[in-house]
Amino acid sequence: MASRLVIRDVDAGYGAVRVLHGVSLEVREGETVALLGTNGNGKSTLINCIMGIVRPDAGEITLERDGQRMELIGRAPEEIVHLGITLVPEGRRLFPKLTVEENLLLGAFRDGARRDIPRNLAFCFEAFPVLQSRRKQLAGNMSGGEQQMLAIGRALMAAPTILLVDEPSVGLAPVLVNRVIAKIKELKDRYRLTVLMAEQNFNQATKIADRGYIIVHGQIAFSGATAELREHELVKKYYLGV
Amino acid sequence: MFSLDLFLNALAAGVLLGGFYAAVSLGIAVSFGLLDIANLAHPVFVMFGAYLVYTMNSRFGMDPILAGVLFTPLFFVLGALLYQLYYASFERKGAESLRGLVFFFGILFIVEVGLLLQFGVDYRLVEARYIGESLHLGPVGLPFRLLIPCVAGVSLTALLYLFLSRTFYGRAIQGVAQDAFALRLMGANPFKVKRLAFALASATASVAGALLIMIGPVEPAMNREYIGRAFAVTVLGGMGSIGGTLVAALMLGVAESLTATFYGPAWGVAVSFGVLLLALAVRPSGLFGR
Ligand SMILES: Nc1ncnc2c1ncn2[C@@H]1O[C@H](COP(=O)(O)OP(=O)(O)OP(=O)(O)O)[C@@H](O)[C@H]1O
Ligand SMILES: [Mg+2]
Repeated sequence: MASRLVIRDVDAGYGAVRVLHGVSLEVREGETVALLGTNGNGKSTLINCIMGIVRPDAGEITLERDGQRMELIGRAPEEIVHLGITLVPEGRRLFPKLTVEENLLLGAFRDGARRDIPRNLAFCFEAFPVLQSRRKQLAGNMSGGEQQMLAIGRALMAAPTILLVDEPSVGLAPVLVNRVIAKIKELKDRYRLTVLMAEQNFNQATKIADRGYIIVHGQIAFSGATAELREHELVKKYYLGV
Repeated sequence: MFSLDLFLNALAAGVLLGGFYAAVSLGIAVSFGLLDIANLAHPVFVMFGAYLVYTMNSRFGMDPILAGVLFTPLFFVLGALLYQLYYASFERKGAESLRGLVFFFGILFIVEVGLLLQFGVDYRLVEARYIGESLHLGPVGLPFRLLIPCVAGVSLTALLYLFLSRTFYGRAIQGVAQDAFALRLMGANPFKVKRLAFALASATASVAGALLIMIGPVEPAMNREYIGRAFAVTVLGGMGSIGGTLVAALMLGVAESLTATFYGPAWGVAVSFGVLLLALAVRPSGLFGR
């Protein structure tokens, strides 16, 4: 099932404030794409446009699958989830008074995911063993890092074809960032999962990304393969402090 | 005067009463405990259920429990419609808390007056072959009119527990008040999830009504005393914990029965608030709060 996410000339904002200006971006089957930008540049806004949480004022967001084109703008978040796109949201948004296991099972709510629960649960537990040993613990009582793992695990339970991750490294110790990033890479290799990841942590994101986009003040300032990004002026200026 | 027999009988009656209190409280445990909707009108739905059962029983001689079960689809639909109205009028506008309370008080009043006009203030009761009989275990007598409601109440509780903990919609109902936005990211529509929950909560009222009128004669204003009991049980049980609701209901039943036996029945309803205040002083999140 070849699927591709195409964003074309999207403008979006909140009330009178325009945040995104003509953003175009593409994520192809099996790719991991990094959306890089510092605070307040519009990463979450773009991700939220894809999920149907923020409605763009102009532009197109299409999911192409097996030669079919589906417009995503105007669909509710739950419909977009049913199309196989899931989000690990900023701030994790777990159900704090449900257990780890209940959170994971809620992740498999969409029809397309229920069949594969045993397989996906096994993968989550293998990827993040702490989730298995804390199965019966309330999500709200987990540490920040554990919660981030649970948030990723819960999104994987939906058996997505495209996974959106909004800043997986935020609030995590470097060693945990490494682990989470390594697991996302493993997912991509094993299941040909397509990933769009918003990140500020340039070095971590470029470890696993095939390509990247740099967003500055709501516009794509640069895009290219990971190696090119490392060489680029803007990157040196904004991220590497050179 | 204290005697062991009297104590054991009061204890047994309390446990049986508690099983029935659980049935009445389930609707509040779901609507108030899980959805944050203070449905004051639930006990009056229970009364409405009791009168429908009364009608079927007095007209057609139908078994009360059977009648209660037969009316559940009606209550399910009424609950769904009521939630839809509540949602459109208050929740969508973010004005639910205080005005929502007034809304449900209004519903309570309308239904209560409707019952008064239709059935009057006289006490009504149902008849069934088994109602006057008792099961005897040594010195303890278990009257069927209490035993059956207890068994039915505990069964209803178990069914709801299984639904909430084992099904996808059940888990969604548990999660919806914690983070409705996150639930959308799981692919569920929070409005539909809440409507289903509210409809199920309302459907329990018809069975609880059958149990109520089996225990003793009813009159329309009786719903008032169950408001206090059901909210006390819900808070004490830990706001939406179904197992907690059952335990809290049993505790309340026993406390009430012992007080009524040894100090007089007038203390009945006061006991529920006494138990509630005492328990919350010790454990503010309720006995089984998460
Ligand atoms: N709900 C909202 N209402 C109004 N303005 C908003 C809202 N959400 C974001 N903004 C504004 O939009 C701009 C872009 O925010 P966005 O959250 O997309 O940035 P970001 O790149 O994800 O930043 P961060 O790395 O801090 O998460 C910011 O100026 C922010 O203040
Ligand atoms: Mg952000």
